[in-house]
Amino acid sequence: MPVDNLSLTRRGEPHQQVVKQAIHWLLRLRNNSANARLRQQCEVWRAEHHEHELAWQRVQSLQAELSSNLRAVPGAQVAFNTLENSAQGLGRRQALKLLSGALLIGSVAWLGKDAVGWQQWTADFATATGERRGFQLPDGTRLELNTASAVDLDYNAQQRLIKLTRGEVIVTCGGIDEGSPFDRPLRVQSRQGVYEGVGARFILRQDDDCTRLSVTGGMVLIHSPLAAGGTPTQVQAGQSYLIDHHQAKLAPPLDMDAGAWVDGLIVTRNMRLGDFLDEVGRYRHGYLTCAADIADLRLSGVFRLENTDRLLAILPQTLPVQLRYRTRWWVTLERQA
Amino acid sequence: MTMRLIIICDVRAVASMSSPEFAVQALYSSHHGWLNTWLRARLGNAADAADLAQDTFVRLLHRTERLELKAPRAFLRTIARGLVIDHWRREEIERAYLETIAHLPESETPSVEARALVLELLESIARMLEGLKPKVRQAFLLAQCEGLTHKHIAEQMGLSLRSVERYVADALYHCYVLRYET
Repeated sequence: MPVDNLSLTRRGEPHQQVVKQAIHWLLRLRNNSANARLRQQCEVWRAEHHEHELAWQRVQSLQAELSSNLRAVPGAQVAFNTLENSAQGLGRRQALKLLSGALLIGSVAWLGKDAVGWQQWTADFATATGERRGFQLPDGTRLELNTASAVDLDYNAQQRLIKLTRGEVIVTCGGIDEGSPFDRPLRVQSRQGVYEGVGARFILRQDDDCTRLSVTGGMVLIHSPLAAGGTPTQVQAGQSYLIDHHQAKLAPPLDMDAGAWVDGLIVTRNMRLGDFLDEVGRYRHGYLTCAADIADLRLSGVFRLENTDRLLAILPQTLPVQLRYRTRWWVTLERQA
Repeated sequence: MTMRLIIICDVRAVASMSSPEFAVQALYSSHHGWLNTWLRARLGNAADAADLAQDTFVRLLHRTERLELKAPRAFLRTIARGLVIDHWRREEIERAYLETIAHLPESETPSVEARALVLELLESIARMLEGLKPKVRQAFLLAQCEGLTHKHIAEQMGLSLRSVERYVADALYHCYVLRYET
């Protein structure tokens, strides 16, 4: 909340706490409009102090103005859909082009940069929700970025460091000859550790509170902050690890193919519907949820990601569920009536 | 196009008169080209970049404090960044609005004048809600636009009633601060 405490103690201005109380009263009354006693209590509160009354008047007129502006937009859900969709679009553009300080997105223009050679350079890559892209780096490394993902590159004299700041990436190490200018360790950093690829192909996924590493070729060393000084964990092709702030542990068999997205697919084996929808939700805007009583239904199959609406539409054919589109960005699954 | 030329003349004419304007002129001549390139990389087209570069300097002329800048480019970038976001917001709202009403039956499609008014309203609301977390914004809009009760919103969004109440209150407070305390 962009609140500066100093600004709230200006003379004559209702204190932050008073404004919050006024808002609280307003919302309570709106949800219990018929409650005469509540109304009376609110009046008592307003009369207690002139600051209370001022805050109340302002909050009420703000609320009236907002709702009359919104009601002036004709058509059911037009205002909501437009504001939601545009806010998401704007957020995406800011993240991509402005706030990340990205030089260029997925462009090869920087291949022409020569001043410092390849000893040192930085670049940022990012994908929007629903987008997947591959990037070939000049050292032969290939990156595949999944939906809503971002990496920052920081190549310096000690290492080639790739920072995964959100989402998921597949890293394929290029073959580096001894003595080549790229003959430095290739490391990928997530919020929970640093992963060094040795002739490897691996998938790194940043979840909310852990990182998932799946190695599909070669070997990866986990340098987690905890193992500082200790020997790094070696992860071989075919293994998956979950790394949180406390430990790196072998992951139980996954209920989906970790890297199928690179082919535009979700491949599941007996996956919970709730988990499946969370996964599909990564590729689309808005809300996608299901009722609690169907979250534990299981599904197996191969699903195409290119059009998630179409993907969802086939679910009722295999499961006793029905789709409910509240808006285009608001989809819930319920038990079939 | 004409507008842009007039603004350029404006900047130059005003800039020669007194010292703060002179500072703007100095900034203009040393950094205009760079700013243009910076904007172009973000906007992807030269015409919008040129417009916003001019707007950036026009904003500077309206500022009253003295321009003694240690990092002029960072300063210009801050102003230009705000303008870029305004520009994108307008574009995004227009795009989203047209997309939304494209689904309406023809009889309900608003006239061109009505659209302009609506876009302006939506823009002012969007500016006000900017910076809210998506869930806070969504809960607030559901309450405001569609008059849903908090209980209903909680069910729809899969949140607890308490969270929805907090979100809606947070959003209103955010609007209050913008309106009355800045």
